[in-house]
Amino acid sequence: MNTRNIRALMRKDIALFINNRFYMLLTVIGLVCYIGLYFVLPSNVDENLSLAMYAPEMPPVFNQLTSQPGTAVQIFSSETGLKQSILDGNYQAGVVLPSDIMEIWNHGGIPVITVYYNSGAPPEVTTAIVALVKELSYAQTGQVLQFDTTGEVLGNDLLGAQIPLRDRMRPLLVVFILLMETLSVASLIAVEIEQGTARAILTTPLKVSDLFLAKGILGVGLAFGQGILFMALVGGFNHLPLLMLTTLLIGSFMVVGIGFFLASVTRDVMSVTGWGTLVLVLLAIPGIGMIIPGLISGWAKLIPSYYLTDAVSRIANYGAGWRDAITNLGILTGFSIIMFWAGMVILRRRYL
Amino acid sequence: MNLKRVWTLIKNDTIHGPKDAILVMSVLTPILLALFMNLAFGNIFTDRGKLGIYDVDHSELPGILTSSTSIIVKSYDSESELKSAVSRGSVDMGIVLPVNFDATVNTGVVNIKAYVWGESLAKNRALIPVVLADSIREMSGSILPVKIDTVALGDESNVPWSSRLMPLTVLLSVFFGGIMMPAGSLIHEKQKHTLEALNITRATISEIFLAKGVIGAVLAIIMGLLTLTISGGFGSSPFALILVLVLGAVMASEIGLVAGALINDMNTLFAIWKFGGFLLFGPAIVFMFPQIPAWIGYIFPTFYVVKPVMDISVNGLGFNAIILNVTILGGIVVVMGALITGITHHLSTQSLQLHG
Repeated sequence: MNTRNIRALMRKDIALFINNRFYMLLTVIGLVCYIGLYFVLPSNVDENLSLAMYAPEMPPVFNQLTSQPGTAVQIFSSETGLKQSILDGNYQAGVVLPSDIMEIWNHGGIPVITVYYNSGAPPEVTTAIVALVKELSYAQTGQVLQFDTTGEVLGNDLLGAQIPLRDRMRPLLVVFILLMETLSVASLIAVEIEQGTARAILTTPLKVSDLFLAKGILGVGLAFGQGILFMALVGGFNHLPLLMLTTLLIGSFMVVGIGFFLASVTRDVMSVTGWGTLVLVLLAIPGIGMIIPGLISGWAKLIPSYYLTDAVSRIANYGAGWRDAITNLGILTGFSIIMFWAGMVILRRRYL
Repeated sequence: MNLKRVWTLIKNDTIHGPKDAILVMSVLTPILLALFMNLAFGNIFTDRGKLGIYDVDHSELPGILTSSTSIIVKSYDSESELKSAVSRGSVDMGIVLPVNFDATVNTGVVNIKAYVWGESLAKNRALIPVVLADSIREMSGSILPVKIDTVALGDESNVPWSSRLMPLTVLLSVFFGGIMMPAGSLIHEKQKHTLEALNITRATISEIFLAKGVIGAVLAIIMGLLTLTISGGFGSSPFALILVLVLGAVMASEIGLVAGALINDMNTLFAIWKFGGFLLFGPAIVFMFPQIPAWIGYIFPTFYVVKPVMDISVNGLGFNAIILNVTILGGIVVVMGALITGITHHLSTQSLQLHG
């Protein structure tokens, strides 16, 4: 192994990477966008159904609503104020009870309750509030429903401590940042092969393994560096930073391995871009599953990036430790080694 | 113009032409994007709680619950399936309806086993039982002790994100393949100097352009139709929609031909695509954010493709409502056609790099 030559090759590759405006632009803009996107997304979860209410006379059962978990009721002193607040977008809907509601019920009558809603509010909000008002009215008039539920909470009960959307997206974003390097590495190799410079380089004292090592170190360095930068800015190292660093490092090896393999089975930079985009979309699926729970099931485990996304998500969002992540890291390492090996063997046989 | 020669060129280009990254991206990206948008944005921005039901004894309740718009209801065939769905977060709550549920509701106390997903929001945990109770009351014929009036305030309309993102999907599906296929094919021919070979046959430049344009347009139409099928957006006037897609595809293909005639390498094409993408996809941004004044959309030529598509597939309008926009789109297609005719007649063979 000739470290001086490897360093020279890496310097050349860095220059090539910087000069390739397409990937350079993708890398820089991508990183800025991902970080920007994280901070634009809401940092908390509004767990409660916000409701405005005007009730000159508050029926006792309706009063209980103000202390019920899952609802946040704001009592208004006038109907006009309630309507204005809904129009201003402070509330999606509001309930106005008539001043003589109890008297009407006591005389066996049917009072009229008005539900105001913002026309831009999703329709399910209105129907849910109507259902709520109906149920409260039944309860107030003594029509108790004869049914009971026995509940069991499955998984960690995060009531009151929900994971915000932006934190749910962290695994997807960081994995996407790493995955972009698949394209960069594959493109660096494809350019060398397309232009015939790989053969020229090998007429120097540099060995084939040195060539791959230089590309590999550069690729892993780029992916790992961006991953660290992103996670540092979005608070991804708050829990077990060493474990997160190890995960990102193994993830960086994985994307470079995939990049080697991609370069070995494609013909030129254009093919790398085309097939690479497809691979990128496929590898991003597990990350999408993290933000839309229940979207993907067991089949996602066939996608290697699942183990990276899952590990990042568990460590960053659920406080997982080394023991929880070790299986994922083992699978990732194994897969990365296979990809590296396969890519190098195919490339060596095809072109060098 | 010899149509037989054009057909031969189309056949040869389709069978022997390059099957490279552009084709892969043209075909797969819009499909994947449409699938993703449909799956993700169909649900991600909805506040509706999700209830899973394992109905042991074919109760009426799931039918009543399904008609409720305040929650999403999913059925499962076994309790283990239901538990698995709740554990994954597919549903916020899962209930098991016991044997003789319907009969017991009217006579005695019914006990329902419920599983709650640990990450379910408090409001969903509160609302799902309310909707469940409401449906059980409906089933048991309870008399509602109140009259509820619902009044909308303001004039803003609620447009779901799946609809807001539809223009982007449609534009990408029609315009990526429609532009890049003919442009890439022409640039490829110029780089490989195969246009020279074609030029010594009886095929004219116009015929070569027409053949490549037809391939791009057909691909764009197919991708547009596929995307709309995935998004479920054919509306009530499918023929009008197809007409708009055909005109949009022809426009895309014409832009691709102009680009292919004037650009000499793929890197420049991609660089222009990145800049020109803003002009092409501008209307999609206008549709995404209703706060942007609608008049801005009219500046972009692709607006006249997206607007009629949205009018038909999302707003449910008929052909009469889109005549003006379709006429403008037709006008743009004719002008672009005249431009290409000018290019094929006036560009010298040297500028088309026929002689290297």
